[in-house]
Amino acid sequence: MVDQLAPAVGESTVDILEHLGITVDFLDDQTCCGQPAFNSGFRSEALPVATRFIELFEQVAGPIVVPSGSCAAMVRNYYGDLFRCDENMIMRAEQVGERLYELSEFISRFFGTDAIKGTLADTATYHKCCHLLREIGVDEEPLEILSNVEGLQMTPLERADVCCGFGGAFSVKMPDISSAILDEKLDNIEANGSNMVIAADTGCVYQMQGGLRRRGSSVQVVHIAEVLAKSIRNSSVLGKS
Amino acid sequence: MTSRAKFIANVTTSLGRTEVIKPSRDESTAAFDDAETARTNADRAMAENAANSVTLTDRMAEAASTIGWKVHRVANPEDAADVVASICEQKGATSVLRSTHDVLAEINVDAAVTNTGAKLGVTKHSGDNDEAKVTESKTTAFAADIGITGVDHAVAETGTVVLHPRSGLSRLVSLAPPTHIAVLRPAEILDSLDELFAMERNDHMTGKLAGSMNLISGPSKTADIEGTTVTGIHGPLEVHLIILEND
Amino acid sequence: MKPLTTDFRAKAAETMVDEQVLQSLEHVYTGFFKGRLEAIGNTDNWEELREKGKAIKDHTIAHLDYYLEQLADNVEKNGGSVFFAADAAEARKYVLDLAHARNIKTVIKSKSMVSEEMALGQALIDEGIEAIETDLGEYIIQLSGETPYHLIAPAVHKSRKEVAELLDDNYVEGNPVPDATELTMMAREKLRNVFERADMSVTGVNFAVAESGSITLVTNEGNGRMSTTVPRVHVAVMGMEKIIPSIQDLSTMLRILIRSATGQRISSYVTMVNGPRTSDEEEGPEEFHLVIMDNGRQKLLADEQMRESLNCIRCGACLNACPVYRKVGGHAYGWVYPGPIGAIVTPVLTGLKDAVNLPAASSLCGACHDACPVKINIPRMLLELRYRTAEGSTDKDERTSSAQERTIWKAWRIGMMGRKRFDIGARLSRLFLRPLARNGWLKKAPPPISGWTSTRDFPLVSSSSLKARLNKRSKKAKS
Repeated sequence: MVDQLAPAVGESTVDILEHLGITVDFLDDQTCCGQPAFNSGFRSEALPVATRFIELFEQVAGPIVVPSGSCAAMVRNYYGDLFRCDENMIMRAEQVGERLYELSEFISRFFGTDAIKGTLADTATYHKCCHLLREIGVDEEPLEILSNVEGLQMTPLERADVCCGFGGAFSVKMPDISSAILDEKLDNIEANGSNMVIAADTGCVYQMQGGLRRRGSSVQVVHIAEVLAKSIRNSSVLGKS
Repeated sequence: MTSRAKFIANVTTSLGRTEVIKPSRDESTAAFDDAETARTNADRAMAENAANSVTLTDRMAEAASTIGWKVHRVANPEDAADVVASICEQKGATSVLRSTHDVLAEINVDAAVTNTGAKLGVTKHSGDNDEAKVTESKTTAFAADIGITGVDHAVAETGTVVLHPRSGLSRLVSLAPPTHIAVLRPAEILDSLDELFAMERNDHMTGKLAGSMNLISGPSKTADIEGTTVTGIHGPLEVHLIILEND
Repeated sequence: MKPLTTDFRAKAAETMVDEQVLQSLEHVYTGFFKGRLEAIGNTDNWEELREKGKAIKDHTIAHLDYYLEQLADNVEKNGGSVFFAADAAEARKYVLDLAHARNIKTVIKSKSMVSEEMALGQALIDEGIEAIETDLGEYIIQLSGETPYHLIAPAVHKSRKEVAELLDDNYVEGNPVPDATELTMMAREKLRNVFERADMSVTGVNFAVAESGSITLVTNEGNGRMSTTVPRVHVAVMGMEKIIPSIQDLSTMLRILIRSATGQRISSYVTMVNGPRTSDEEEGPEEFHLVIMDNGRQKLLADEQMRESLNCIRCGACLNACPVYRKVGGHAYGWVYPGPIGAIVTPVLTGLKDAVNLPAASSLCGACHDACPVKINIPRMLLELRYRTAEGSTDKDERTSSAQERTIWKAWRIGMMGRKRFDIGARLSRLFLRPLARNGWLKKAPPPISGWTSTRDFPLVSSSSLKARLNKRSKKAKS
């Protein structure tokens, strides 16, 4: 999704990592972790795609950073189920999963939540994407990271940890239910009054932005990677950091 | 095959086995603790009470108050009797029912009640399983304005009064009347549910488990209408806890 | 209860336009969900308790045959009778036969989801026996002829006005609606008469204790206590999984059940019954019967992937946490058990083919797993059922995915198996969709994503991929 729909998120991720002093490699051949088919029950289709993912990332060493809680969850928590008939693949998947991190998880764990001192003057609120929160266990860290962005006024979102209703294919298979859940989220966003909603998963970003646009709202939904990368650029323009 | 044998055989098969096997010791459940362990746990529960009586009483009072008991802490039996009398008067009680807990004799509850003009009955067991007596017992309980009992155990963690119905303590005396008064001695207070169930388990392991047990934690309540909590749906609307701290 | 799982989409749609029900359903979040959070926030060792509760249930279910036998032996030792019912029909027959044999006129029912599986209430009434629900929520829905909407609060969807119409003999449209207290007092009075004359009760079982042959009831209202006291015959019905090994395990199980269900530290009443009344009691049932029911639970037990669902202690926390339940309501799930737990057990117990929409109706947010006091991994089992309906079931009838869907995912897989085709696919979609888009967004997307644009704008694929952009950067850097 990031690659084709939201490449700016990927570029921002690279920018952030390079800013932290890391040399970043991008495997050109990568496509998908297989989650969409797995979540829809088509494991036979997900299996070769996931196998390809493992084969690809096995060839490089070192940490793998992904700007998505749900992709990270797929690899770390669900590849075991997907590969359940294959002990060897399970082991290989575990080895890749061990060094695979979601972006804010990676930053807070290896560099600290105060490692990025950017600048971005705006009002914003944070939506807690479900897989990042519950599958990866990252809760307050993104907020702590954002609190170090100068000029960014964060206010807590009411029911921040309640799902936006995306759920992958669920959003198109059962659009009425997905939208009913989204409506509640959007009501809370509008009541919050911030100009911007920050979230860490592209699917959620599009669910919320797509809905806000339909409502005629000017609120922007932005991936945390883009916010942080922009704040770093602003700082260097301003001669800081 | 009886339906039981067939049923169990199906369960065994579903578990992937051919016969029922006794599980080996698992630390998660207390089921494997022997009688001696059960007794040690119960003794410890009682010892804790003896050692921490004062703090337990404070905690019990607080927990009970939080969940809706009207708590009265008194320093002597006369004051306890006065509380009972004033509740009777407040409620305009004409008919009161009590259990035979000996704390009630200690506070001279009979005089306290009858002096207000209310009639007092005692939950007794006639010993003869007579249908008519059962009906009479029920009718008396449903007609009573106030039920008074002592306490078999209390639990400070939750503000709970525990009663084991038996001869002299009917099931209904703490349930049917709209007001229930429980008179508690600090010596009956246990720290938490762990201690309570340790005591109950020990009773079981020594063949003394009561026929039934009621944990009572506040008045009867429901929130089934629009999520609004209302007190007193089927059980007492008002529950009083008199703590007799006269040692 | 006859399953109506095929009505899921239609019933869900009905609920989602019913402002009053949606407002009532908010209580589930603002009351139960928030209450639970507060309660566990005040419980220092909450995670430890969950681990212990899970361990107790895992152990018990792994040795269910042993503990069922122990339970039955002990109930009989205590003077009670045990009936093992293979299915709801057998269980119902046992209770009806018993009621006839004992000349029962009035049966009082205390809350029991298993008795809903049995459709017992109506069966008794059809046989000319008065059968009255005594839990206030159950009483309300009995009066309105409905099935329970929630595991803990069966009438959560009813407004106060609707309750007044059902309960208040004097209520007339246009009058001020009596408040909750007034309505509750009316129910108290009506049901008190029933308690006095009832000759049989049917209760559920929150926990059956194997080592002592006891059953435990957790209530706030007092109807559980009435039901185990006033009638001469007491029948307790339970699913075969509602069992724990030891009395002492109750301290853990009660702590996690009650906080998870209502946010209380403890309910007003916990009642433990060890058989019929003892020889030194005046009051209490002369007879105690325990009906242990299977009704398809063997299937869950034998199913390695689904067995964990038998750990459920029926607290309702998953319902309270579920954003889907809160929008579609309890009746959409079409059978006894609504919400996330219903979405995984109903398909196995009543048929995956008809219940296919239940596991599909989830965003996999995981809030249910988080909320579960015994840590049941519901999302994993939702995914397992989706796998079975898509392609994985050995039963052809259960594989209900359409040819169209299978083709879509096949095409998706082909597209993902090589970078070049991945890029070409993306470029093509942009080529075709760009004319329909404005500022990079589509108001109307073609199938299969047309559902999205019914309510949301859909993003256009980007003009260049991440790969292309990063390659461009490194080329620039080198030059």
